[in-house]
Amino acid sequence: MLKKIKQNKYKGLLIGILIIIIYYWAIKGTNTSPVNFVKGLPFMYDFISRMFPPDFSKLGLFLLKAIETLQMAIVGSTIGALIALPLSFLAARNIMHNKFIYHITRTFFDICRGINEIVWGLIFVSMVGLGPFPGVLALAAHVTGALGRYFSEAIESVNPETIRAIISTGANKLQVIIRGIIPEVKPSFINYSLYYLENNFRAATVLGLVGAGGIGMELLTSMKLFKNQEVLTILIIMVLMVLLIDRFSAFIRKKVLKLEKIE
Amino acid sequence: MINIENLNHHYKNKSQEVLKNINLHIRKGENVVLIGSSGCGKTTLLRSINRLIEPVSGSIHINGENILKMPIKKVVRIRGKIGMIFQNFNLIERDSVLKNTLNGRLRHHSSLNTLFGRFSTQDYEIAKQSLKRVGLEDYENERINNLSGGQKQRVAIARTLSQNPDIILADEPVSSLDPKLMREILELLNNICLEKEITLVTSLHFLELAKKYSSRIIGMRQL
Ligand SMILES: Nc1ncnc2c1ncn2[C@@H]1O[C@H](COP(=O)(O)OP(=O)(O)OP(=O)(O)O)[C@@H](O)[C@H]1O
Ligand SMILES: [Mg+2]
Repeated sequence: MLKKIKQNKYKGLLIGILIIIIYYWAIKGTNTSPVNFVKGLPFMYDFISRMFPPDFSKLGLFLLKAIETLQMAIVGSTIGALIALPLSFLAARNIMHNKFIYHITRTFFDICRGINEIVWGLIFVSMVGLGPFPGVLALAAHVTGALGRYFSEAIESVNPETIRAIISTGANKLQVIIRGIIPEVKPSFINYSLYYLENNFRAATVLGLVGAGGIGMELLTSMKLFKNQEVLTILIIMVLMVLLIDRFSAFIRKKVLKLEKIE
Repeated sequence: MINIENLNHHYKNKSQEVLKNINLHIRKGENVVLIGSSGCGKTTLLRSINRLIEPVSGSIHINGENILKMPIKKVVRIRGKIGMIFQNFNLIERDSVLKNTLNGRLRHHSSLNTLFGRFSTQDYEIAKQSLKRVGLEDYENERINNLSGGQKQRVAIARTLSQNPDIILADEPVSSLDPKLMREILELLNNICLEKEITLVTSLHFLELAKKYSSRIIGMRQL
């Protein structure tokens, strides 16, 4: 690649011009300008200054909602992982020799994953109404696609020789999966699942903005009523919760991975 | 015991023939070594015998039955009586020695039992006996990735032994071991097969080892 660029003197110049054009086009299209930013600063100052001091009068309610957000993440991630787990075998080329089923499952994962949690939230809110339940469904839908994809890739990367060794003992196909593949993919399955639990908590905080339960819903209400001091309280809780969950999940992952002995 | 007739094979997407008109008769209890340069088709031939590879044409009769012409269910049953040992051991690295050895007993169980990790006391006994035979009785609960290469190949032999096989196919079983261990492992494999009247087909790179550890040497050459 590098060699080729050197060979062709004009190629580098051409790529440079192309990059400049793309940035110009994107900045123009989004009205991004430092002038506008500076002009907006007084309003921002005004907005932020009206947040202080934070209003802790509804702290109890907000904390409850934050816990609800955590619950959404736990249930949503678990449902997603449980659906992805069996399906991922159908989307692994080394297990599923039926191309039709393979592609159908892959496409299903891609659709689930391709649609953002917020968009899933909008869809499920219109299907089952407001509250944490559509939030759980939204998280589950996205996670099914994401984990399904990662799981099936982990299955595909199992050394075929290891699988052959189990086949050679006269084991049937299910036994080959249980004794030959699952032990090999277990650590990465656990790792990915925990990562998505963490990820889902972050996603769940915003899901409230579309009416799908949790602390995000309180944030929206307070913002609409211009209660900036409450908004600050909620933002503080959100940041603290995310930090806490990240730490906790990192800790668990480390423990689990140590147990599974992959360094 | 193993009767190979007019066996031909070439891999898909390659026109080059790997096995051409192979005829080979191996008697019960024989200890045959296949020898030949890299790429001459030793692995292909061995894997045809338990049908890990589907040869293009020919027949392989095992105890009078053509394994190339039977439904896959039956192939699976026959495979159970054919042990296989690999150059790179091919064990489940994160599982224990005992768990790997128990995999040799899978064919006696339903998928449901396997799902719940259930084995009979007889299975445990056989697995433990096999481990004792290869000198690893004190390593039952050790993880494979904590073992040396020689120990790993011993576990693989124990796994195969747990199958209670009539035939063992050993594909370069000592190629990733140092010279001292090569002799140890080949010696062990030979003695076990002699004791239990197991037919042994091994592929090796060195003629010197082949001479010492076989009752018959078969040379293969690249086409
Ligand atoms: N899965 C495969 N697809 C295509 N070609 C293959 C495949 N496996 C082996 N071959 C080719 O078939 C020929 C024989 O391979 P084989 O592995 O049987 O040789 P071998 O005698 O076991 O060699 P080695 O001593 O290196 O293990 C080689 O030319 C190899 O490139
Ligand atoms: Mg080979």
